[in-house]
Amino acid sequence: MSNLFIAELLRFRAWALLALLAHLAVLGFFARMVDPLQQPLFVYQVVAAVYGLVGLLLGLYQMGGYRKPNTWLNLLHRPIPHIEVAQALAGAAMALLAIAVLLPLLLVIAAQSALTARVVDLRHWGLPIAAWAIACASYLAAACVMLAPRKSAVFPVVLLIVLMISDASGIWVLVLQAMVLAWLAALLACVFKPDLCAPPRRALGELLLGLPMLFGIWMFLAALTLVFQTAWMLFGTHPLNSTPPAGGYVEASRADGADLLLAGLDLATHADAALWREQVRLSEVHGTQVQIEEFAARQQLTNPMPMEFDDDTRRTRYIFSHDDLRFHGVALADGSRDGVLGVGGDHAAFDLPPLPLGRSALATAHAVYAYDSETRQIHTRIALPPGETLAALPTPAGESMSVLSDQALYFYDARSLANAQDVLAPRVRVPLPGAIGSLDRVDLIELLDGHLLSLVYGRGGIDGPGDSYQQLLMVDGAGRIEPVARRELSPDFPLWLRHYDWWLSPAMHASRRVLAHLFADPAPLRVRDPAPRPASMQLLAAALMLASLLAALWLSARQGLQGPRRWLWVAACGAVGLPALIALRLLHADRDAPVMEMAGDRALNLRATTLPL
Amino acid sequence: MNNDAVIETVQLSKRYGNTLALDHLDLCIARGAIHAIVGANGAGKSTLFRILLGFLPPTSGSARILGRDCRALTPQDRGRIGFVNEEHTLPSWMRVSAVIAMQRRHYPRWNQQAFDGVIGHYQVRAEQKVSQLSRGERAGFNLALALAQSPELLVLDEPTLGLDVVAKRAFLESLLYSNASDTCTVIYCSHQMDEVERVAENLIILERGQLKNMSAPDEFCARVSHWIADIPFQGPPPASVPGLLQVQRIDGLHHYLVLDQDEDFGEFLRASGARSTRSMPVSLDRAVNGFLAKNHAAPLAA
Repeated sequence: MSNLFIAELLRFRAWALLALLAHLAVLGFFARMVDPLQQPLFVYQVVAAVYGLVGLLLGLYQMGGYRKPNTWLNLLHRPIPHIEVAQALAGAAMALLAIAVLLPLLLVIAAQSALTARVVDLRHWGLPIAAWAIACASYLAAACVMLAPRKSAVFPVVLLIVLMISDASGIWVLVLQAMVLAWLAALLACVFKPDLCAPPRRALGELLLGLPMLFGIWMFLAALTLVFQTAWMLFGTHPLNSTPPAGGYVEASRADGADLLLAGLDLATHADAALWREQVRLSEVHGTQVQIEEFAARQQLTNPMPMEFDDDTRRTRYIFSHDDLRFHGVALADGSRDGVLGVGGDHAAFDLPPLPLGRSALATAHAVYAYDSETRQIHTRIALPPGETLAALPTPAGESMSVLSDQALYFYDARSLANAQDVLAPRVRVPLPGAIGSLDRVDLIELLDGHLLSLVYGRGGIDGPGDSYQQLLMVDGAGRIEPVARRELSPDFPLWLRHYDWWLSPAMHASRRVLAHLFADPAPLRVRDPAPRPASMQLLAAALMLASLLAALWLSARQGLQGPRRWLWVAACGAVGLPALIALRLLHADRDAPVMEMAGDRALNLRATTLPL
Repeated sequence: MNNDAVIETVQLSKRYGNTLALDHLDLCIARGAIHAIVGANGAGKSTLFRILLGFLPPTSGSARILGRDCRALTPQDRGRIGFVNEEHTLPSWMRVSAVIAMQRRHYPRWNQQAFDGVIGHYQVRAEQKVSQLSRGERAGFNLALALAQSPELLVLDEPTLGLDVVAKRAFLESLLYSNASDTCTVIYCSHQMDEVERVAENLIILERGQLKNMSAPDEFCARVSHWIADIPFQGPPPASVPGLLQVQRIDGLHHYLVLDQDEDFGEFLRASGARSTRSMPVSLDRAVNGFLAKNHAAPLAA
């Protein structure tokens, strides 16, 4: 095995060294221009995609060369177990990826830590490992693609999609990557066999290949809705691509604030409704909406946005360190260290990593802070009650400033917020009538004594299952809240389309949510209103599962499956539905027809080759 | 089960879609000697080897190699079977010395003397990369590696395909001068009848996945005879000619290649209007080609 490992290392050594030098040069260049550890998430995603591509190409090239019939025979027909051959090839590839991907990243981070005043946290050392894991996972997926039976070959790639959709952060990302790597390595061991056309022999191999197939087929079928919607757009009647239907969510989400308030007031029976209509026409309409999708988690590998802000007056850049939960100053002039910033005069540690939002404003999930350049201090200005999460920064609302959390809308005195430096108490708290993840927009006008609010719900469910509506509230100066009207917004899309990915396979729909949230912290800003499933959609899903079960009974018999393996497939088709049935069809060929004796004389049954006589 | 057989198939069939590559093949190859397997393209030779080595599943029937079911070969079994294919697929990026070192570690019964005996026929240097070897040198190197494994069974699948005359001769000489046939059973698959005639002690003919002949090459030659008849008019209809493999009309004479016909065939020709007949022995090349060509597709008008 070691000979094969070394031979494979030697085979690609020139490419690996070239990649190392090129990678080091690119990273070094970027490190001179920007701080590579303080980039927005998008940059990390693009770079991760490049590492993934490198792994994919290596896997496709390496195994693509070996899988040629005679080469494959020459590789495997030797007195060592196939698993050892696989280990040697994959081990060498991963070692090469370590040289090309891991090593340059470690060197650059080490150099940044040793030679600059920039912040290098413990979490940053996880980045090279994560990058290497992505490259290795892509390599293994590509190797499995080349060696798996043709009809199911593409599905190992689905395991990479699990990494993409996951909400996990920090060390849990590495745990998830390790799990995907282990899965792909086990799958490679199962498909690394002499007969490349046959499905994995053992039940474990079938499970390792079959589960990604179920998920991949479901995703493919779910994505077909895009084809339908594209065709709909071409016809010019798509709700998002034409004049939206009247009274629907799309219309409400695009409406002018005053028109939206008036539309809601049309249903109001309140004694002052007529007066409010007049005031809406005369007043300035203010608005707010969810501005923050997620906050930085402690020791997460990447950043939702650069964790730094500049004090232009003092020519200092403050970079947040997850290790001590404080900002560290770096002089823009010479790159030297320039102080440490915490909360208050004693520079206490933040309770959570704050996001620099707007001019000298910082926010964590529970508080809003302001930086004062003159005193070089950060002060807490708004502190939300325990258990609440900030959803939007202070926004002007007449003489007040509104602040949105996942549970309530707060009104603060605008002058106090601008002038004072202490923690402000809200003048009014308005509990939200729905889940923050579904809240699309808030519009309001100032009344003589309070505010008239319009809240539109339905975000993230334009073509999804959630109900959408507009809620009007009146809040007086004393904080009393009075519902004014509720306007149901009609769905813009047909029922079957809104629930399409669910009725296609409720089990896979639930699996996707589980996979996305695996190892992830709770995300309160993504909580949505529950989406009830109409009875017709439930019936459709049940019918599809039953039809899949019956079809699996017939198909598995035709394929010659026997014993527990057959009944497990039938049960899977009953539980998962159409994706499992398609997976069964792709993974197992029909049983060969019995080979019949050829009719006639075997020796001389065809005519002789003759020339014209 | 025949314990003395290195290869044994029972009713072995392999179907690719609608094509039957192996058709209820019953084959038993005894231990020892050099056996040649010949057949036209598509006769099922490569399919047979791939099934025997466990790289393809049979559609039906069974196949055993060195007494082991071909679907259950262990690494130790593979160490007892050498295989040389026509592409001589060796890692092109490796040096000759590295390939030797790797094979030596993989094969516990490595025989350096056997290796040196074969490689001595070629100008192969240890520091050369495999990609720098000529096709002939690569073939010789591959043969040397296979023989040095001390296999009990050595399968050579068209090893001289694409080699020039000199390289082909060097390959055959290195095979013949080695003591391969003394120490192991050799299965030699080739389209080159001169090679088969030179090396093989047993001739196996496959056609359309069926076994058509298994005998010594001389015995097979004796079964095929070439008759020349002077028939002034049209000859007998081909369908009525017993054992007909091939018929040609050259310079007014009818040339018949027939299988398993004795002197009575001369009587048949004379009864069909021949003024004179003459029988001639045929070479192995002609006999096998005639045999294989008889079922070869040809235009209906021909």
